[in-house]
Amino acid sequence: MAEVLLDNVTRRFGGIAAVRELSLHIGDGEFVVLLGPTGAGKTTTLRLVAGLERADAGRILIGGHDVTRLEPAARDVAFVFQQYSLYPHLSVFDNLAFPLRSPARRLPEPEVRERVTRTAELLRISSKLDSKATRLSGGEMQRVAIGRALVRQPAIFLMDEPLSSLDAKLRAELRIELKRIHEVLGATILYVTHDQIEAMTMANRIGVLREGELVQIGSAQHIYEEPSNLYVATRLGSPPINLLPAGVLPVPDAPAGTRTIGVRSEHLRIGKANGAAVQGVVTRIEHLGDQNHLHLTVADHRLVTLIEAHADLAVGERVDLALARPLCFDAAGVRLGGS
Amino acid sequence: MTDTSGPVVIRDRAGAVPAPPVARVIRGLSDRAIAWLFIAPTILLLLAINVFPLIWTIRLSFTNYRANKPNVPLRWLGLENYTSILADPDVWQAMQATAHFVIWTILLEVLFGFGLALLIDKKFRGHSFWTTVILLPMMLSPAVVGTFWTFLFQPQIGLFNYVVAFLTGIDPSSFQMIGDVPLAPWAIVLVDTWMWTPYVMLICLAGLRSIPNYIYEAAEVDRASKWRQFWSITLPMVLPFLMLAVLFRGIENFKMFDMVNLLTSGGPGSTTELASITLKREAFEKWRTGYSSAFAIILFVTVFGAANIYVKALNKVKQR
Repeated sequence: MAEVLLDNVTRRFGGIAAVRELSLHIGDGEFVVLLGPTGAGKTTTLRLVAGLERADAGRILIGGHDVTRLEPAARDVAFVFQQYSLYPHLSVFDNLAFPLRSPARRLPEPEVRERVTRTAELLRISSKLDSKATRLSGGEMQRVAIGRALVRQPAIFLMDEPLSSLDAKLRAELRIELKRIHEVLGATILYVTHDQIEAMTMANRIGVLREGELVQIGSAQHIYEEPSNLYVATRLGSPPINLLPAGVLPVPDAPAGTRTIGVRSEHLRIGKANGAAVQGVVTRIEHLGDQNHLHLTVADHRLVTLIEAHADLAVGERVDLALARPLCFDAAGVRLGGS
Repeated sequence: MTDTSGPVVIRDRAGAVPAPPVARVIRGLSDRAIAWLFIAPTILLLLAINVFPLIWTIRLSFTNYRANKPNVPLRWLGLENYTSILADPDVWQAMQATAHFVIWTILLEVLFGFGLALLIDKKFRGHSFWTTVILLPMMLSPAVVGTFWTFLFQPQIGLFNYVVAFLTGIDPSSFQMIGDVPLAPWAIVLVDTWMWTPYVMLICLAGLRSIPNYIYEAAEVDRASKWRQFWSITLPMVLPFLMLAVLFRGIENFKMFDMVNLLTSGGPGSTTELASITLKREAFEKWRTGYSSAFAIILFVTVFGAANIYVKALNKVKQR
């Protein structure tokens, strides 16, 4: 394992910068998740570290060595693709052994066997070792693909939305498994996703990307509670943060220049109509089981918030609203009054 | 409401157009009957031009029937035609010539076809233009190819001899590709390879294009050399396509007639007399219809059996 440094890296495709002057440091043994919508440059960043794309400017260092001009094979990285990139005509065992049997590595066969067996146990696919890769279910295939990265003990694991093509149950399972593997192996992992739950649950740090630029990086809690601007604020949170023009709801001690208020569930105090200054109308209640989504209308603006499942509210009812320490943004969308 | 309006509309239409209600006639038939109605013409056609002649040929193969003497009383020979064919050294020579032709053309076409496909797949500048150029020979009629290669192979004025002379310094009139006994079998191999390599290339190209790029990227990150990528990704994944091309070319060339007949007519002597040319001679020059029917059945069973075994192997490769 090793630390990885991206230093002002730029990659253009036909004049359009997919990644623009991106600098990022991934500590040894750290799990960093890059979060952003499609086209934000997440995958390109990953491919740049792997060497599958060449940087037009900037440097990439792995374990202190400049690898900017090196081939993927010379970089000692492992890559898990979004698609199950298995060698279809090989068995699971041979798929897992494939990177170890590289002539560049020349591991003795007993050690190959030992490492493959250990990895298969870690991923709970030991019983499938003799199966053909194409005979596996989607979840098993992706585990084999992850396993092929794990057998190598590379400097860094690069994972490109490895769970996105799996169903929800499997995704939740593998999420926990990946986190466990990270803890067991102390692996350095750079992980790309557009799924905020994956980002929140697995990352030591989350980097939020927009149009090839790193907008903010920090712990999941920091990104959630202290977003540097509107874009980052809308990336995390479920239901998504409500954005209201300043003045719709009174904000005690709002910083000067506040134009937009970001309201999450925890910022909103809801009570039975009791003559408060601002009132909303309940327009819809969505039952989620343990909690409900409450849709409100406040002076023609819509709000969605979480409330407890058995809150005594009905559609059409008026409620008192008050804000507690919401997020304030200026005209340019930059957060005001942050710590 | 809809219960009443539906039939009323239909009745109105029927009243306005007094045509025979075809729909009602068809409505009386079951789905299965309609299905039979649709495929009946095809089945009848197949029976008339494929199945019946085949059965008739089998029947004739046990007789001494001669198509130019239809009035001679038919005599049943049993398996005599078959035994005399299998004991005929001329037939075995034709089979050898065919084997030589089939094996070498397939070998060369696969080699060059796969090679060209690998090159074209690199997507260099103008690769689509070159693809079209390479495909041209395949689009020609075999009769045209056979005829104009006789001119190319012409020792005095032929372009082929001239080019060979230019490259090697051999006297162009010192050899005849389709006249010399040792060269003629290679002349037909050469022309067929020239004509059908593009076909093999096309099928291989389809195979190469079906391999997703990320598998190569994964292999690259896994430190597999280009050589190892070829052996463990490209070749196994193209193999079913390649085998399909071999099957098609094998069947085609086993019954090759037109191009070779026009190029060499089986000569010199009988060095390029392929099985189907022998068959044509027996059937339409010597008019031994019963005998040649038996030969045709032998050829049919050979190619049918070989193709069946081959398809089983192909399916096994596909299932890996």
